[in-house]
Amino acid sequence: MKNKYLFPAALFLLAVVLPFIVPEFWVHVLTEILIMGLFAASFNMIFGYMGQLTFGHAAYYGVGAYTTGLLIVKANVPLLVCLPLSMLSAGLCAAVLGYFCVKLRGIYFAILTMAFGQLVYYIIFQWYTFTGGDNGLQGIVPPAFLGKAANPYYFFTLIVVTLGMIALWIISASPFGYTMRAIRDNAERTEFIGINIQRYMHLNFIIAAMFAGLAGALWGPFNRSVAPDLCNWHHSGMPVFMTVMGGPSNFLGPLVGSAIYTMLMAFVTSFTEYWPMVSGIVIIVVVLVMPGGLLGLLGEKLPFLRQNEGNAKETKG
Amino acid sequence: MDITSIFTQFLSGLTYGTILFLVAAGLSLIFGVMNILNFAHAALWLMGAYFSYTFWNLMQEYSFAFWLSIPLAGFAAAAVGWFLEVVLIKRIYKRELHEQLLITYSIALILSDTIKLTWGVTNKLIVRPEMLRKPVFIFGSPLDSYFILVILSGAAVAIGLWWFLKYTRYGHIVKAAVYSREMVAALGIPIPRIYTWVFTLGIFLAGFAGGIQAPIGSITLGMDNAIIIQAFCVVVIGGFGSLLGTLVGSLIVGEVMSFTILFWPEGAMVLIFVITAAILIVRPWGLFGTPMRT
Amino acid sequence: MNFRKTTAFFVAVITCLFFFGMTGAMAAEPYNLGVALGLTGAGALYSADGVEGIKLAVEEINAKGGLLGQHKIELFIRDSQTKPDVGVREVKDLILRDKIRAVINDYSSAVAMAVKPIAQEYKVLHIASISNSENITMINPSPYTFQVVPNSYMQAKAAAVAIAKMAKQKGWKEFITIASDYEWGRSTQASAVKFLKETSPDLTLKKEFWPRLGETQFTSYITGIMAMKPDFVLGSVASNDNVAWMEQAKNYGFFDKIPYPGSLITVTELMLQAKTLTRGIIALTRAPFFAHMDNPMMADFVKNYRAKYNKYPSDWAVLCYDAVYALKQGVEKAKTIDTEKVKDAMKGMTVDLTRGRLTFRTIDNQLSCSSYTGTIADDPRYPFPIYKDIIEIKGSESERPESEILAARKAK
Repeated sequence: MKNKYLFPAALFLLAVVLPFIVPEFWVHVLTEILIMGLFAASFNMIFGYMGQLTFGHAAYYGVGAYTTGLLIVKANVPLLVCLPLSMLSAGLCAAVLGYFCVKLRGIYFAILTMAFGQLVYYIIFQWYTFTGGDNGLQGIVPPAFLGKAANPYYFFTLIVVTLGMIALWIISASPFGYTMRAIRDNAERTEFIGINIQRYMHLNFIIAAMFAGLAGALWGPFNRSVAPDLCNWHHSGMPVFMTVMGGPSNFLGPLVGSAIYTMLMAFVTSFTEYWPMVSGIVIIVVVLVMPGGLLGLLGEKLPFLRQNEGNAKETKG
Repeated sequence: MDITSIFTQFLSGLTYGTILFLVAAGLSLIFGVMNILNFAHAALWLMGAYFSYTFWNLMQEYSFAFWLSIPLAGFAAAAVGWFLEVVLIKRIYKRELHEQLLITYSIALILSDTIKLTWGVTNKLIVRPEMLRKPVFIFGSPLDSYFILVILSGAAVAIGLWWFLKYTRYGHIVKAAVYSREMVAALGIPIPRIYTWVFTLGIFLAGFAGGIQAPIGSITLGMDNAIIIQAFCVVVIGGFGSLLGTLVGSLIVGEVMSFTILFWPEGAMVLIFVITAAILIVRPWGLFGTPMRT
Repeated sequence: MNFRKTTAFFVAVITCLFFFGMTGAMAAEPYNLGVALGLTGAGALYSADGVEGIKLAVEEINAKGGLLGQHKIELFIRDSQTKPDVGVREVKDLILRDKIRAVINDYSSAVAMAVKPIAQEYKVLHIASISNSENITMINPSPYTFQVVPNSYMQAKAAAVAIAKMAKQKGWKEFITIASDYEWGRSTQASAVKFLKETSPDLTLKKEFWPRLGETQFTSYITGIMAMKPDFVLGSVASNDNVAWMEQAKNYGFFDKIPYPGSLITVTELMLQAKTLTRGIIALTRAPFFAHMDNPMMADFVKNYRAKYNKYPSDWAVLCYDAVYALKQGVEKAKTIDTEKVKDAMKGMTVDLTRGRLTFRTIDNQLSCSSYTGTIADDPRYPFPIYKDIIEIKGSESERPESEILAARKAK
């Protein structure tokens, strides 16, 4: 049990040291890995722990990104205030939409989350006077104390993402987290022992959305702009890829998946514009050859990666 | 708003609905029988449009080129579909939902880039025969004369599928498979072979729809992105696996798009998704579907 | 044909991987020039031509030894996918990894506006050669961003001049606009409506339609507009969408019934829709090569371009070619490839381009170039229709007054 923390600690140490070694470009890539990693980890709260596939998670990421973007551009609100507000707005959005989503299971859950995701996307897309429509918002500048270099914002992101991941870890290891696993493994039986599964699922949906919102909030100042594409269904596919690549049954799987996906993209796009084709081939290979993701595969060989998960195999809803 | 303009707008909704129906019919068929949501459907549709352009381009000097290239596009796409089924899709029937979605999504990504590599980034234009270049007037409402062909093809596909499902042995097997694969298998019918042919038929419809789409405007990369989501909406509204549902769903989406553009242009897509979400919440199996599997 | 290309692609990828990192530095320091255009997405049609223009210009310059006769230009081409988010990432990547000194970007004004602050932050020249929203240079100006294409204000004014004249002749009262729903469409439409209201107060805007960028089905818009029976329609639809929109509208007999004056119909559309385009429309464009065939630089360019690509250059090829030559002349004036000095040298500089001798305005780095209107008609010299009775509206006649720019900046 002791070396359960070994792998996360090693990763964190690596994250602290790396920016001093690698060139600036890769610091940007690392920042992206962290932001997308938190996004994917929040997605995995629904996917890995609740056993439902959401194909509209980018909506909450986008709501978070736009909340911060709008607050900074229109009202000059400090970034540290924007972050909790972004979590709040994404959470509120999920409270309304998630209420309906958790009534459904399986493919219907996936399609409804996607439909809601597209709804949010089109509202942001069409509301030109407020959100800037297809143009997005420009001029989202990080606060002065973070300077203009890549490293300060990277470390800021690292702190926020680490705190976010710890919070998600605590939630997933709490009795609430174990209730989610129970619902995933056998919803009927869980209901029979007197648990209101819909309420639990709704709460979990909101939590996942809040952390997606937090990840989104970090994106705007990093990229200096936000665009409606952040919430459309293609972007919702990203955490699915990442989680499947890294391994959904491991808490750090989504983060590892984000690292693989983002670095691969940074590498491949430097010599070909056919990244979609390469990514498609990679995903097919991952799904067919290593269904448990990288950590699932390594976990068989290296026991210290394995977590005390009980039943790691998820069941369809 | 006089009656003529309302009728005109209705006609334009009807044509758009027909285009959607042609795309969604195969999607719905594949989902209904095989329980696989095919993200790559629109990419194959687009490929059909490009195939149709290539055939037309090769045979340009003959007057039948225009007419022949449309069904040929269907067959070419069907060949690609058959190949995909045998090589990839076959392996994922028993896999988890997310794995199926990821595989078909990846196929869509690969196909889009394959199209880009094969046909390049420039738009492709098919020049119609002289007789289809002028509008016709129906009760004073203008209609692009080609759309008569589009609507007739839609009707032909609908009737053909209905006849196939109702009166042929294979149609009966397919219909039975929508309800219970296990029962069909227990009767000694080779399910894998049925699946291969259903998938190929679905992709034939996609390619044919692409061929029909091609002469409407110009063929460009990325056209598939918008239509796949709308086709999903159609299938959800109508009900997975229901032919009648797909037809009704397409017409609803087409008409809603057509009329909201007049009164509330920004809201067209928002409204479609509100309808889709409402149907999913109230009746997840759609207007004409059956509440069977989840 | 497809298989061979696909195989070739894979071979290329593998070769790239193999030689990755093996390409070393050569004699004098090369000049790394980035290109980030929308090679996929709604802007693909225009962007592809732009890349061809750039490649030709770079080849010519390198054949003479490169910039200042010694710095060979190395091209780094990326796909912004016509999405602001992707554009920013690609440009960052170009700056940090490929160490570019200048970037030509983008098709989409929205992307150019998102890239502008990044270029400024890293002190890299940013040349807008297709995107033309005036907001790129008017609001939050960056000393690193230059625009070599007539901006949306200049274009709208040129269109308005043509339309106002016709409106008076024909007694037009009501009109409808249809414009792509993004930065360029929005800013062009807004400026044009403002001008029309100023020049002809009798005109009323009946309705605005905003099809999204990337729309392929225009039927409902077409019938919707026809049902409202406006006196004329003003269109600002671009690239792939413009072709789809005009094809579909034509088949509804739209152009026979409703005048469509002063809308963007570029050389791309003239060539692509050579057989189907309705003749006699009064249209607007940004850099038609046939308007400047008397300029030797343009004549040479057209000749070389045809030799290399076996087709005539579109506006976008012309503009992107000009972008490289503007940069070249900036470097020559600065006598160094140092970006800071080139940037300062280009401020207010007069350059010799295919479109003649033109000057960058000091206040906003906007090239004071012309817009062109004319009537679409067949010409025996070309296999596609061109503009007849071309009216060239000079930059000086169509630019936004400096006082208004300053006021807009203050308001922001």
